[in-house]
Formats: sequence, structure tokens, C-alpha cells
Amino acid sequence: MEDNYMKIEILSKDINVLPVRIAITSFLSQENVHIDEVMDIKTALSEAVTNAVEHAYNDEKGKIDVEIHLDNNDNICIKVQDFGKGIEDVSLALIPTYTSKPESEHAGVGFNIMESLVDELVVDSKLNNGTIITMIKKINKKKN
Amino acid sequence: MKYKYLNGKLAIYLEEELDVSSCKTLRGIIDGYIMKFQPYELVLDLTDVKFMDSSGIGLILGRYNLIKLLDSKMKVINASPSIQRVLELSQIQLECVQYGR
Repeated sequence: MEDNYMKIEILSKDINVLPVRIAITSFLSQENVHIDEVMDIKTALSEAVTNAVEHAYNDEKGKIDVEIHLDNNDNICIKVQDFGKGIEDVSLALIPTYTSKPESEHAGVGFNIMESLVDELVVDSKLNNGTIITMIKKINKKKN
Repeated sequence: MKYKYLNGKLAIYLEEELDVSSCKTLRGIIDGYIMKFQPYELVLDLTDVKFMDSSGIGLILGRYNLIKLLDSKMKVINASPSIQRVLELSQIQLECVQYGR
């Protein structure tokens, strides 16, 4: 694969998670990434964007930046950044089934699914500054 | 979304993509049917679901908890391989999920 990237900026509304998924599916398909790998990346990205939509800005709306980079070593790097309240305790957020909003019926497994689907997950959060979720995955399967 | 109610059994046929947005809408609709029919068994059929993330797991868990309150049973059937993978990765033990399509 040659170097390539895509950047998307959305308002933190839950209806905007679907267009982000559609965009990344389309972007990766033209790069000959196998459908199984596309599905994994799409799911991990959906979790990260959902997290920002649900938790970053409380009841207000703010912006979420999504960046997808491909390099010529077949690595894909995804960055999801919000500029909201930040995560108070990242290690707590990473514990399976932990949710800061139990009333919203979150399963609390978003980060666990992200961790399982990519090779590297980094959560960089600063209180009142926002959160950056970075995920790196090596593409092993290509379309025929 | 379609539903079928017959002899105390309520089947809900979910469609398309189960994400944060669709699950918020579906939650109220499904709970409305559960309260209306008070079924002895709820079946969530995922045959036509093309994508699901942890919001879908939250939807399943929430309905499961409601059904247990009614002392009824629940089954989740026909998940595609990619949805089964998400269910497995969540590491939540869902006894109501029937694996294999």
C-alpha cells in the first residue's frame, strides 16, 4: 500500500457515527483491504467515535476529529480526538464492564473490543482538554 | 424492525446496523412490545443485522434484564460470524445467545 490518509470532522451527535463507518469502509475498500480486516477496523472505529459522542461533551455538542493513515508497510493508524471533559481515570475506563453511565445501558466493553481488534491502543486523556484514542493495526489480509 | 407475537412468544427481527443511534430508538420500541405482550419468551433474531458494536450488546443486556424481571426467557439467534465475534470479544457471558447460524 502507498501512503494515504483521510480526515473527517463531525459534531458529536450519535447519528454521525454511521457516516464515519461508511467513509472508512469505502476508503479501505479502494485500498484492497480484505473485508474481514475492514470489519475489524470499522468496529474498533465505531467504538472509539461512540465513546467520544457519548462521553466527551456531557449534554453539549462539540467536535470530533477522525484521522485514518495508511503507510507503505501496510500499517493503519486511526486517531479519534475530542476536545471535551477528558476521562478522569483511564485505567478504570479500561476495566471490562465499567461504565460511567449505567443508566444509558452501556455494556462498558467498548475499550475491550477496541483492544482485541487492533494491535496497539493508546488512550491519552487530559481533564477538561479532551481525549485522543490512537489505534494501530497491521493489515495482513488483502483482497485477491 | 418487524415483530411477531404468537402463543406467548414474542419474536423481534432486527435489521441493518445496531449502533449507538439505532439502539437508542430500538430500546423504547422493543420494551413497548415486551410490556404490551408480557411474553414468556423473547427471541431477538439477528438474521438481517449487518453490523453491531458494543451498543448492540448493551441493547441485548438491557432487554435480558427486563425479561428476567418478568420471569420470562430470552434467546438471541442467527448472529453472523462478525457479530458473534463482537459478542465473544466483549467477554460478557450471555447465556441467551445461541451461537452458530
